[in-house]
Amino acid sequence: MNGKIGAILRSYGLLLAMAALALVVAVIQPRFLSGDNILNIMRQLSVLGIVSLGMTIIIIGGYMDLSISGTISLVAVVVISMQQYTSAALSVVTGLVIGVVVGIVNAAVVLLVKAGNGESLILTFGMQTVLQATALLYAKGYSIKAPEGSSFRLIGQGTVGFLASPVLIFLALALILQLMMSKTRSGRSIYLTGGNKEAARLCGIPVSWYIGGMYVITGLMAAAGAIVLSSRTMSATPTMGTGYEMDAIMAVVIGGTSLKGGQGSVTKTILGVVLVGVMSNALNIIGVTPYMQSIVKGMIMIAAVWLDSKKTGGGAAFAKQSV
Amino acid sequence: MEPVLSIRGVSKMFPGVKALNNIDLTIESGEIHGIVGENGAGKSTLMKILSGVYKKDTGIIFMSGTEVDIKSPVHSQTLGISIIYQEFNLVDTLSAAENIFLGRTGEAGGRKRMNDRAGALLESIECGVDPRRRIADLSMSEKQMVEIAKALSFDSKIIIMDEPTTTLTGKETEKLFAIIRRLREKGVTILYISHKLDEIMELCDRVSVMRDGQLLGTMAATNLDRGEMIAMMVGRAMDMEYPRRESTAGDLLMQVDHLSTGKLQDISFGLRKGEILGLVGLVGSGRTELARAIFGADPVHTGTIAINGKGVRIRSPIHAIKAGVALVTENRKEQGLVLDFSVARNITMASLKKFSSAFVMQSGPEKKDVADYIDKLAIKTPSPLSKILNLSGGNQQKCVIARWLETEPLILILDEPTRGVDVGAKYEIYLIMKDIVERGGSILMISSELPEVLSMSDRVLVMRDGRISGEFDPRQTSREEIMANAIG
Repeated sequence: MNGKIGAILRSYGLLLAMAALALVVAVIQPRFLSGDNILNIMRQLSVLGIVSLGMTIIIIGGYMDLSISGTISLVAVVVISMQQYTSAALSVVTGLVIGVVVGIVNAAVVLLVKAGNGESLILTFGMQTVLQATALLYAKGYSIKAPEGSSFRLIGQGTVGFLASPVLIFLALALILQLMMSKTRSGRSIYLTGGNKEAARLCGIPVSWYIGGMYVITGLMAAAGAIVLSSRTMSATPTMGTGYEMDAIMAVVIGGTSLKGGQGSVTKTILGVVLVGVMSNALNIIGVTPYMQSIVKGMIMIAAVWLDSKKTGGGAAFAKQSV
Repeated sequence: MEPVLSIRGVSKMFPGVKALNNIDLTIESGEIHGIVGENGAGKSTLMKILSGVYKKDTGIIFMSGTEVDIKSPVHSQTLGISIIYQEFNLVDTLSAAENIFLGRTGEAGGRKRMNDRAGALLESIECGVDPRRRIADLSMSEKQMVEIAKALSFDSKIIIMDEPTTTLTGKETEKLFAIIRRLREKGVTILYISHKLDEIMELCDRVSVMRDGQLLGTMAATNLDRGEMIAMMVGRAMDMEYPRRESTAGDLLMQVDHLSTGKLQDISFGLRKGEILGLVGLVGSGRTELARAIFGADPVHTGTIAINGKGVRIRSPIHAIKAGVALVTENRKEQGLVLDFSVARNITMASLKKFSSAFVMQSGPEKKDVADYIDKLAIKTPSPLSKILNLSGGNQQKCVIARWLETEPLILILDEPTRGVDVGAKYEIYLIMKDIVERGGSILMISSELPEVLSMSDRVLVMRDGRISGEFDPRQTSREEIMANAIG
């Protein structure tokens, strides 16, 4: 694919494809474009959105975090179960602290092992297994319900005006992180670390601290996502987080952030999240089974990474990054 | 006799750039033909067309009188053209023999015969490497000989060598030249691409000069004039290669005492204000290790460093930058540049604090400083926001230098500052160096190009096996004396 048309297709191909899909679905099932459904979509994608914000930052920084699904599961069961003994507020704080701690541990392991992008994928995957097992152990395999009438409900089910609070939380976090990444020294440093870690280090950028910070943000966002998610149903199952890490990566890549690192933005991820959310909803509405949906998602993931590698000349996630 | 290679009217365009413009070139059989030109002159593009990586847009290519259409790298090899790249094209985990017969073990007749044949090829170029040894365990010079053996295994009539001596020591270079001359005796034609004009003049039978995609002319060795070659490459007469400079050396600025790491042994020396101190030595003598130790890039070392009389503790680049030390590394592509980023971001990345207040980046001051440096250092770029990947080697190097000048260092360490930089930009970098020391800065310059070191330095230190083996006044010392000291 040469020239301008090729470039446009590469940048917006996935977008166009999904817009086409949305159009087709809208024709088949007019309910798709109803105000109700749109608000529904927004509410549903908020959790993925929050979680994907963290994933964006770690990917821009040149690393990977596959542990977020474990974090979500663990934080969800802890936060819900704690409310039998203490206030909602304390539970929420505990949940967020868990997210931070997970981030610190992830970063510590990655730094100790002097891991690059590829290794961090496997390391955090190991962490995910640990966290997921911990969640199952903690909940003893059961799903847990929060006490009735707890104020915790407001996080996931409240509204401010016509906007559901999950959406508000998502947008607020997105704004904060986008500003941080685009306007602050920290954001610039994270981009530089992702662009060429060794060069950044030699320029006096405290790369190890930023790696720590990246993982903490990702853990924090996973925890926040878990809180909103469990608040919506006022319950938690110990495998609640399953699949979120893949969906988050897909949202980030579809939005246009490269797995290579050093590029992309939070804003792009918002777009990716919307697309993923719209697509999931569209497939649901026309009655596609969850298994078929997984197939579709998988194919889109492959297409997205393929297009990404064409743009960046290949070798994205496992590109040689000097330690 | 028919010329082995005849190129007529070959042109090649890339989006927005005419890389080759109507090239007419004749290569005689059994000659060593040098090709010189600045970066961007088109040498690489021409070689890639010959080796089948690119396809020409127009023109005809004849080999020994027969027209050929080179379709792919494999096809070019079967036609008898082999190319040895600067970075080599070998699989580290396989043996020399396996690399020579890569993909052709069947044709070679099985493992034992393959090893025998590989051994014979290596012996024919007087290389004693055991063909069963892994590439990863070989030296750069040995790897190069494997590449040559590989080319011979294809019965190549033409071997293209791209900057072959960048990673070789003096002795290894001599050995390579002997091999090349022997190949010529066997009737093999060599296309030798290099920035090192001295080597070109010593080795080649004829030399072609390229500039801006055009072939300006071909000269016989006997008619080679270095000044004339440079003038053709650069497009203007250069009356000197190095700027004239009065010594501006003053008081002692930095004193390093008993610096030792794994590789370095008890290094002590001083650097004065306004001085250019040259550091030479063979590959592996410890020069880069010394630079990295002073800059805190490698954290473990004993010994002391004092700047302006006060001891400084440098255990990381952050400490170094604070203490006023800056390092331009020897491999900008891997450790210096963030290739996907803009010129502007590459220039400001070591001084982010300077352009931010309370963590927020200030784009105004950033833009202004970048524009200033682009102007001051004559950096050729379409815009400060262009991707640094698209700049020539010389301009990329200037960006790295600008980055470090932004940190307002007292001491600038330059590790091979003009490697991969064309003649014109080299001179500009020398001017920048001159300006830095005239303003009171100090430079520690590591270089493998002795003429450069002798012309630019106020003093020269020689390193050997991790120690300082000698100190010389470049105005009173010959190249031979310094080389002798470096070899030991």
